[in-house]
Amino acid sequence: MAATKTRASSFSRNPSLLNSSHTSPGLKHGPNGSIFVSSGIPDLDKILGGGFSLGSLVMIMEDAEAPHHMLLLRNFMAQGLVHSQPLLYASPASDPRGFLGTLPSPEKGLRIAWQYKKYFGEQQPNLEAHRDSKHEYCSDFDLRKPLERHFLTRQQISCVSIQDPLNLTSFREHCSTFLNEIQRIDGITSCIGRIAIQSFCAPQCGYSNMDWVMLSFIRSLKSMVRSSNAVAIISFPPSLLSPSFCKRWQHLLTYCFQLKQSEPRHVSDEDKDLAKLLTGYQDMVGLLNVHKVARANTQVPVILEATTFSIKLQKRRHLTLECLNQTPVDGASKTSYATTGSCSGSSKTGALDF
Amino acid sequence: MAESVCRALRDGSMEGEHAAALTVKDSMKCPYGHNVFNHVLTQLSSNILSSKSQSKGLVLVALSQSPSFYYDLLRSRGIVDFVTNKWIHILDGYNDPLGWKKWLSEHDKIGSISSEIFASTTIFRNIKDLDQLLSLIIEVGKGLVGQGKGRFSVAIDSVSEMLRHVSLSSLAGLLSKLRGHDQISSTFWLLHSDLHDIKATAVLEYMSTMVITLEQTSESFDQQQTILENLSLHEQNSCKGKIQVRMKRRNGRVRVTCEEFDIDQSGMKFSSASPESATINQSLLPKVQFNLQLTEKERMDKENVVLPFEHQGNGKTIQIYDGRRALTEGKKGTEPTPTQQLPAVEDSGKGDIIYFRDSDDEMPDSDEDPDDDLDI
Repeated sequence: MAATKTRASSFSRNPSLLNSSHTSPGLKHGPNGSIFVSSGIPDLDKILGGGFSLGSLVMIMEDAEAPHHMLLLRNFMAQGLVHSQPLLYASPASDPRGFLGTLPSPEKGLRIAWQYKKYFGEQQPNLEAHRDSKHEYCSDFDLRKPLERHFLTRQQISCVSIQDPLNLTSFREHCSTFLNEIQRIDGITSCIGRIAIQSFCAPQCGYSNMDWVMLSFIRSLKSMVRSSNAVAIISFPPSLLSPSFCKRWQHLLTYCFQLKQSEPRHVSDEDKDLAKLLTGYQDMVGLLNVHKVARANTQVPVILEATTFSIKLQKRRHLTLECLNQTPVDGASKTSYATTGSCSGSSKTGALDF
Repeated sequence: MAESVCRALRDGSMEGEHAAALTVKDSMKCPYGHNVFNHVLTQLSSNILSSKSQSKGLVLVALSQSPSFYYDLLRSRGIVDFVTNKWIHILDGYNDPLGWKKWLSEHDKIGSISSEIFASTTIFRNIKDLDQLLSLIIEVGKGLVGQGKGRFSVAIDSVSEMLRHVSLSSLAGLLSKLRGHDQISSTFWLLHSDLHDIKATAVLEYMSTMVITLEQTSESFDQQQTILENLSLHEQNSCKGKIQVRMKRRNGRVRVTCEEFDIDQSGMKFSSASPESATINQSLLPKVQFNLQLTEKERMDKENVVLPFEHQGNGKTIQIYDGRRALTEGKKGTEPTPTQQLPAVEDSGKGDIIYFRDSDDEMPDSDEDPDDDLDI
């Protein structure tokens, strides 16, 4: 009997074909035919199940009192530059290019004194003693070291200041030309563009009063990004936006993160209480709350194990996200953890769930 | 604390950082914002004059009081050096902010305006043009500190006055440009929060690194009575209140402190918050299921437990009960049998375990195989 292997169903995608076609390290293929782009923070990629899915719009709700959204943006932009992906950066500052000088540099891989070549033979002829960060999907960024100049001059980076133009149409056209150019650079799908918009509704921007104009801009940006190979990140301070529009934006965007700071320090010894409550409180610089995660080509919603993570800077260099470790609470007690108001600067955020 | 705020303004900002910014926020319940603003102004001025601060000059945009008020204020606090040492310049937006008087005098409707001209005052007549105001501030500031690396501070008497004429976003643009300018080391402004909607207050708090909020000390249900109380206190020339200071630090944490203040003829006095007026600190420790803390009673009971092998403390050597001898102290029901009791506890008379060894029942010297009894 000739045993021929026939496929029972022809609907499953053959992964081996895909792997051979793309060579770019900036992409990762996930389940259900989704393609992921790294966020630049390894912990965040793990939480999201691979990274940001291609064509998604990420929203970061800033904390009005802390600059941690800049850390997330920096890692995102630096990851794109390391992978030679074109980048569009917009900010309300009058000279946005200055921000590029603060991007972190990737950590070089471990130097292992081992003779790989002996064991692998002809499979990897180019293997060097240290791993090149370009070939990694997500690099570990050292926030203290600035990104090398050759990354900044090599590929196309455009910086736009969104402070002056009163209406957003010129910015919208800028985005659409940027996204169209990505298609033209490379025929295959390995070229991904990144758009980073910082402090979108900052008060000094002329359009910050025009809620509906901003909403329609975000909608058109979302449609542009979805039909091209790009990922866009928008950060904005939610306290300056009316709550109904904040909700509208949350529904419109694919991923939604909120940054909160740890409890403001009163002069009393509340810190000691919090330090007892959470391990590693002193290292924590803030909290990240994941409100919404994309459903990549599936009808089943993604339910995360935990939605609140603490942001820590390891040795002030590496950004890590950790699950909050808390002492077990007596369930029968009336004063629950959330209502005592610790770990959230504002009472409008709901209970933290672990 | 008010002292830490003044210190922060004195220290200014580092290279490449936005300038430090303070918002003094008050409302009708505690309308002493002007006093706090003047206090901060005089502190900064004395720091500038004694060269302790990063900034070498001060530009004051006066909108709700005339410049002569400020000169009198500084003089009353002992700062008199205006002419020889150019360190302060006041932009007069009080006398003619919209240019009406000038228009009227040009059209001969009123006589020519005679106003006191101080050497270091510039009058500006178009408050609606914020770009012009910005360039005027920068030009005047550069005139005070020179073209080099010198830095100056900017004070705006009342941002509420500006919001009467200009929109919030253009004001925010002006403030952000001021903060982003290389030569400006610190800024501060006064805001009356109940004159504007919440968004305006939120925007100004977003743009500032420190916020001083004035509150009243006693929560009185009757607002009328509070105002009357305040008025009567005012007649006695003394006013009390409470301030809450929120400072944003560079690492992203926020520091909140509360203080009480007392205003009298000589100025403002700050004191740390009295215990009963401090906010109730809810304990953040939730009830944990396993509580390792001991209450007093539990601790005392713990100390009373006498452990085995512990020195009894009454001079006798430790008695380790051997068990081979019969117990001599009164025990429960021991019959004079050769049963041997193994030692269980050594302390005197607390408890006893009576144990009978099975092998004691045997006759000695019985070598028989117990299985011999069985008949297989």
